Amino acid sequence: MTRLLASNAILVAAAITALGAFLMPFAVRRGRRDWLMLGYAAVYTNFVLVTVATLALVWGLVSHDFSIAYVAQVGSRATPTFYTIISLWGALEGSIVFWAWVLAMYGAAVVWFNRNREGNLVPYAALTLLVVSLFFHVLLIGPANPFGAVFPVPFDGPGPNPLLQNHILMGVHPPLLYLGYVGMTVPFAFAVGAMLSGEVASDDWIRLTRRWTVASWGFLTAAIIAGMWWSYEVLGWGGYWAWDPVENASFIPWLTATAYLHSVMVQERRGMLKLWNLNLMVGTFVLTILGTFLTRSGIISSVHAFTTGTIGYFFLAFIGIVLIAALFMVAGNSDRLASDGKLDVPVSRETAFLLQNLFFTAFMFTVLIGTLFPLVAEAARGVKVSVGEPFFNKMSLPLMVALLFLMGVGPALPWRKAAGPELKGRLLPGIVLGVLMLVAVIVAGGRSVYAMLAFLFAGFALGVNLQEFVRGANARVKAHGESWPMALVRLVAGNRRRYSGYVAHIGVVLVAVGVAASSTFKKEQEATLKPGETVTVAGKTLRFKSAWGRQERQREVIGATMELMDGDRVIGTIEPRMNYYPTSQQPVPTPDVRSGWTGDIYLNLMAFKQDGSNVTVKVIWEPLVPWIWIGGLVLCLGAILGAWPTGDRPATRTAGAPALREGAA
Amino acid sequence: MTRLREAARAMGGLAVVVMLTAGASRAQAPALPAAPQGAPQDSGALRVQVQGSLTDVQKNDPALEAATKEVASQLRCPVCQGVSIQDSPSELAQQMRTAVKEQLAAGKSGEQVKDYFISKYGEWILLEPKAAGFNMLVYALPALLVLGGGVMLVFLVKKWTAAPAGSAAPTAGDDD
Repeated sequence: MTRLLASNAILVAAAITALGAFLMPFAVRRGRRDWLMLGYAAVYTNFVLVTVATLALVWGLVSHDFSIAYVAQVGSRATPTFYTIISLWGALEGSIVFWAWVLAMYGAAVVWFNRNREGNLVPYAALTLLVVSLFFHVLLIGPANPFGAVFPVPFDGPGPNPLLQNHILMGVHPPLLYLGYVGMTVPFAFAVGAMLSGEVASDDWIRLTRRWTVASWGFLTAAIIAGMWWSYEVLGWGGYWAWDPVENASFIPWLTATAYLHSVMVQERRGMLKLWNLNLMVGTFVLTILGTFLTRSGIISSVHAFTTGTIGYFFLAFIGIVLIAALFMVAGNSDRLASDGKLDVPVSRETAFLLQNLFFTAFMFTVLIGTLFPLVAEAARGVKVSVGEPFFNKMSLPLMVALLFLMGVGPALPWRKAAGPELKGRLLPGIVLGVLMLVAVIVAGGRSVYAMLAFLFAGFALGVNLQEFVRGANARVKAHGESWPMALVRLVAGNRRRYSGYVAHIGVVLVAVGVAASSTFKKEQEATLKPGETVTVAGKTLRFKSAWGRQERQREVIGATMELMDGDRVIGTIEPRMNYYPTSQQPVPTPDVRSGWTGDIYLNLMAFKQDGSNVTVKVIWEPLVPWIWIGGLVLCLGAILGAWPTGDRPATRTAGAPALREGAA
Repeated sequence: MTRLREAARAMGGLAVVVMLTAGASRAQAPALPAAPQGAPQDSGALRVQVQGSLTDVQKNDPALEAATKEVASQLRCPVCQGVSIQDSPSELAQQMRTAVKEQLAAGKSGEQVKDYFISKYGEWILLEPKAAGFNMLVYALPALLVLGGGVMLVFLVKKWTAAPAGSAAPTAGDDD
């Protein structure tokens, strides 16, 4: 019943999106508004139908309806309800359903908000969204069909992959990732719409999608940080980023999207880089699909690889079609895209953005080439090679350090004109803070050049970006006689776009400081302890109290109780565990972390004697790691500030005249 | 035609993606030496000989510890996902780390230890491909890109600043 409802909903949705996509070009060509409305109706109907299918699948999971193939594959009566619901995205087919649903939601929302706009931009954007939706429906009908029938109906299933039901962040990271990934379809659809409608010379597609782009970027950022946190809390090796192909797959489009958020300001201000920005947006979209292809086709082995099957060919074909279509559309618009590039001086905000784009693009290619190289090498030489952490660290550290530096210089440089004598004042707080941090890192024993540069430039960028808030608020206090906190609030509220950027910069600095500190000053030790024995790492003493085991509904848990000591006094307990799931022969490590402002004590249970007479634990002192998560929150705050709707958004296009720019930058 | 060529140049970056993915499609699903999931951590085939020959002094020698860390962080844990044997908590990785330490203590150089593991597992065991031969590509391409992009940027900025000052593009307040 549930199965038929869901699978028919997808079939009908596929038919309606196909019809809508077919109708849309004729509606535009013949100027038939009624047909256009039908096309929009297809977008809304698609959302309703995919919602029905998604809810039906969730209901199938919750009600343990093992006649549905997907439920039989990932469901289990013993799995707690929360993990049952989130196993919607625990395997290939369900994750494609979820993707299609998020896409349908974005499509319906973006068409609804822009439905009254004159011109052909929105109809063509809607067409693009319908075509992309159709692609996912084809996947759901063909190679990734979750709604197959199972007969005879099994009484129980194996449950989700143990790694995916071991931590609550599995309910957070994937939805954020999909909201970010899929959200990039919106600016892409408008970019295509702009090219098809010939409106590419105006910046309307950029203005109309700015908030959607910033919001998607925010989701993607949050997803990457949440993924790091999950890796840290679940995988038990004490790290948060291993340059795993899937981590890279989420990071690569983030790099192009971040480049776009900056370079688009040059277009809005100076009318330059139109072609470049279009390419960045098309590229970001293609890279999200490529990332999904890499991780979902099983072509690259990774924590996230689900299955092997024919689905890879569908993705490749789709990527090919998008690229060829984009090539022709760009060719058809090349005269409109001609850049009237002019710069007044070589050193200005504009050139800082250009350099930023160069570094981000280079970063993107480095990660992309490194991720794909094992495949290329195997195809070319027939030899398996690995490209892992040491490679990516070596290649990306210079770029990261350069970007930190630019993040400090950029905001201090004025648009258009050469920096005047006030530049010194704007840079001074940054220089002071940077030098202080450099001294701190040297005193703490950091000797690597990159650690020193990272702290120096992080302090520099922090100082310059903070200085912008202080200077602006001070000016308001002087001009309006407001109290300082009120001046700060009004300053940010009055020019949210500009200050949201600085907030995001501060978030990046915090992340960078956490990453640099934890990779430079991490201390670890493994110890085999009998009850009552202690181990000391980085001045923190831990005493092994006891080992224990308990049976939970879906798993067996073995744990060790470790006491954190201050002299003879116990000031806390930390309990690393191993979780044994019936479907996996290996235990899932479940480290326990005690966080403080200066860092985390990270404990992983490595081994234990059956009788509990001793345990082996790995104790890691992880300096400043909590600041990575705090920085992530600050980044999200920046994205929220930048994406929050104001009410002054130009819903309809005013004839000819360029809409009033929001206080840009 | 020129239009198309211009566009092709503009889309050059994306074309690289296509080429690379085309390469990707040929090299179907690499078979790992060990199934990452469900496999016991120390299946016999992967077991590494541990001699247990370290003296107590060597066990606590910080220089040896540092050298071990240096080598171990460049070797891939065969049963994990892209994590080094230095970082991996798995049993096999711990055995391999001990083997590295023993070989270093016995006087082998870091390179010799790595060669030993390459002879057992193939080049795949190195987390960073040796910068020689075909592998140079993965190092050279990003570097070339930064250089080429940098040169292009200098050229563009020169061209754009040489254009008559005062652009027609609208601008908002100049204070940000």
